[in-house]
Amino acid sequence: MNHKKNHNLENLFLLFFLAIALFVPLIFGSNQYNILLVTTVLIYGVMATSWNIIGGLAGQLDLASFAYLGLGAFTSSTLFIRFNFTPWIGMILGGLVAVAFALLIGFPLFRFRIREVWYALTTCALVEILKVVFNMWEEVGGPVERFLPYFSGSLYHMRFGSYVPYYYLILGMLVIALLVNSRIARSKLGFYLKALGEDETAAEVLGVNTRACKLRALVYYAFLIGVTGAIYANIYGYVHPSFFNGQESIKIAILGIVGGRGITYGPLLAALLLVGTQEFLRASLGGEVSGLYLVIYSVILILVVLFKPSGIATLFQYRNKKPAKQEVEKKSVV
Amino acid sequence: MEIIIQSLFDGALMGCIYALIALGLSIIFGVMNVVNFAHGNFVMLSMYFSFWAGSLWGIDAVLTPLITFPLLFVIGMLVYYGIIDRTLKEHYTIQIAVTVGLMTFLGAITQLAWKAQPRALSYSFIQGNIQFGGYTIALSRLTSAIISLIVIISISFFLNKTWPGRTIRATSDDSDAASLVGVDFRKTYALAFGLGSSLTAISGGLLMTFQQVDPTMGLRFGLLSWCILALAGLGSIPGLLISGLIIGIGESLAMTFWDPRARSLVIYLIFILVLWLRPRGLFGRK
Amino acid sequence: MLSEQILKTSKLTKRFGNLIAVNQVDLEIKKEEIIGLIGPNGAGKTTFFNLITGLETPDEGQVIFKGTNITTLSPHVICKLGMSRTFQVAKSFTEMSVEDAIRVGAYNRRGEEEVQNKVDWALEFFELENIRDYKCSDLGLSSLRKVEVARAAATEPELLLLDEVGAGLTSTELLKLMSELKRLNQETKITLCVVEHVMQMVMGLCERIFVLDAGELIAKGIPSEISNNQRVIEAYLGRRSYSESSSTS
Repeated sequence: MNHKKNHNLENLFLLFFLAIALFVPLIFGSNQYNILLVTTVLIYGVMATSWNIIGGLAGQLDLASFAYLGLGAFTSSTLFIRFNFTPWIGMILGGLVAVAFALLIGFPLFRFRIREVWYALTTCALVEILKVVFNMWEEVGGPVERFLPYFSGSLYHMRFGSYVPYYYLILGMLVIALLVNSRIARSKLGFYLKALGEDETAAEVLGVNTRACKLRALVYYAFLIGVTGAIYANIYGYVHPSFFNGQESIKIAILGIVGGRGITYGPLLAALLLVGTQEFLRASLGGEVSGLYLVIYSVILILVVLFKPSGIATLFQYRNKKPAKQEVEKKSVV
Repeated sequence: MEIIIQSLFDGALMGCIYALIALGLSIIFGVMNVVNFAHGNFVMLSMYFSFWAGSLWGIDAVLTPLITFPLLFVIGMLVYYGIIDRTLKEHYTIQIAVTVGLMTFLGAITQLAWKAQPRALSYSFIQGNIQFGGYTIALSRLTSAIISLIVIISISFFLNKTWPGRTIRATSDDSDAASLVGVDFRKTYALAFGLGSSLTAISGGLLMTFQQVDPTMGLRFGLLSWCILALAGLGSIPGLLISGLIIGIGESLAMTFWDPRARSLVIYLIFILVLWLRPRGLFGRK
Repeated sequence: MLSEQILKTSKLTKRFGNLIAVNQVDLEIKKEEIIGLIGPNGAGKTTFFNLITGLETPDEGQVIFKGTNITTLSPHVICKLGMSRTFQVAKSFTEMSVEDAIRVGAYNRRGEEEVQNKVDWALEFFELENIRDYKCSDLGLSSLRKVEVARAAATEPELLLLDEVGAGLTSTELLKLMSELKRLNQETKITLCVVEHVMQMVMGLCERIFVLDAGELIAKGIPSEISNNQRVIEAYLGRRSYSESSSTS
């Protein structure tokens, strides 16, 4: 019963959010700066929501989101720059490349009995590896930014004169990410993921192929991020090894945890609140205080983890009935 | 050929220092099963404290651990009681997440406090080089390596032969049994965490005799320690030392023969390879 | 048909360092039987269960399940083949509701359309309907035990292993559980293998009993034979010469 109530609440929030989100660009009119700002907030929303699949539903602390973002960006953009290849297909390929790398590290690390800490550490390492590799790989990456050819309005090239089309693209990605989340959570995969997050051994003996389940979650997540990466590159108009950013990857995980792991709209909520505030403050106060933001993010994470580990979205949820222990004993002995 | 041997020497010396860094983490993870993502940042923090002590009071870098060791011990215990202790009964990702937060926090405040440019102390009294059979060895590295080895051996002795040390080991094996015998396992955990953290102070001070510190080093030392732990497996201190040497030499060879930018790359690749092929490490228990 | 073997172990052995936890155990279970596996603490019963369910790999010996060699297969594959188990220390899905926990088991053989039917069957069979929405972490001991059994039974196994499900229950709860297990065996034809210390449960439920001591199989037979077996009695009460040999923990 509480499932249904929470589900309805969730849908309500999302519909409300979508209704507003659809009209936001119209509010800002031709203020490109603001449109970029809200697009940025939504990008974090997409990434955090996608992260929820591996970090919330599958319970793995993944710290490599920007690795997959960068891979998607570089794949799509390199094809674009060199072969005039359309990013609409480039982004799919970007997603696939991201998936390939994800499977490369997920396959050995999701073996039954390998402790989860090694996965978290490896994802950290992956971002750093890619950063160095792309810095050294002068044909594709290299120390200088690689700019995408400018077009003021080419659908084929996914390049536009205004940020507005990009905003809607990202919004579309967000909707997709939310739907994927929601569908998985209510499916067999979702139940299996929840079970293995609770107790991997018990799940295994009940028929759950824990490794396969985690890999499936990983594939969904990496693909979504990879595709977003391609769009990201088109928005900013360049690619650079700095895209492989470890701190930002951790920030995505922070959004996921603070928002509420496993709750479909939780990470989005955190993204809207935290990143929204950050971007707004940055616009008002200037960008030099970026170090301070990271301090605040980490403190918020620590506080939430200590005092409300299930995330802030659970503040708005109905809790399951909590019977007194004697009551339950009596009922069961009948 | 000469270059290879020179590189091997340099790598081996660094390896000893790296092994000491990893030892602190091994006590925390191997003994307490606590994942500390912020371990590398403790090293970095000790280096900054050494820098402070060195530049404010003119203390030689090699002597700074006299101040930073107790300081890090206290910080370690505070961190344990303050944030780690509470997360022990929660889901494992919660415990990892809180140390990720700590890592980010320490990285961010050191960046704010000392800014991004690297800091270094003026030369220590153990500067200079010595010649050994045609190869050059920096005295600071040699001394640091020797001191690291001494500390590693002492800690091994401490854990195996002294009462507090064996208490720590007993608690790691079975905290229920240990508490039955009168051991307050929370206090033991706090001491172990304090010890593991304060060992970084020694490494930090030694590193400051020949290196500089900047805010990105936290992650580097962190991943380095975990890599050594993965390679070594849990339960063997000699194994830890050997793994440290392997990593140090690997890094050195990569810098000499591949690309200086690839120094960490080799370490991370070894890390992934070990986890793929032999997850329990080369010298792991069981 | 009735005397067809469902599980057979030959010379099953597991060592942990110098300790031999399971020593050359030959055991066979026939279809639809209710088997008991008893022995003093530390005899190796749980390790034995771990070996046949794929959670541990034996150092020697084989496990044959329904004619297939499952010795090195993964636990989830073994479950798909038809073997399921509960755990001595309950491994409940603490944050999940009773219904959801059982659903995880039910997905083993059922797709989305039929899974709810299986869940409802399990809830009804084990009389858990009125607590279906309760979180597993909020349950009392006997309910928790029943959820463990229900969850495993929902996977529709042919062989169900129960590890000390009777421990800590009151006599009323115990009798209830025993009758449910008997019913389970009779109605669904699931073979049961029960590890137990509670003798009332073992003697009242099991058709045949195997006795382990220090990893070795020391006796097997029907309940009346076992309760009169000298070696079994000595194993539980202890022999004088036993103080010299190493004891398992």
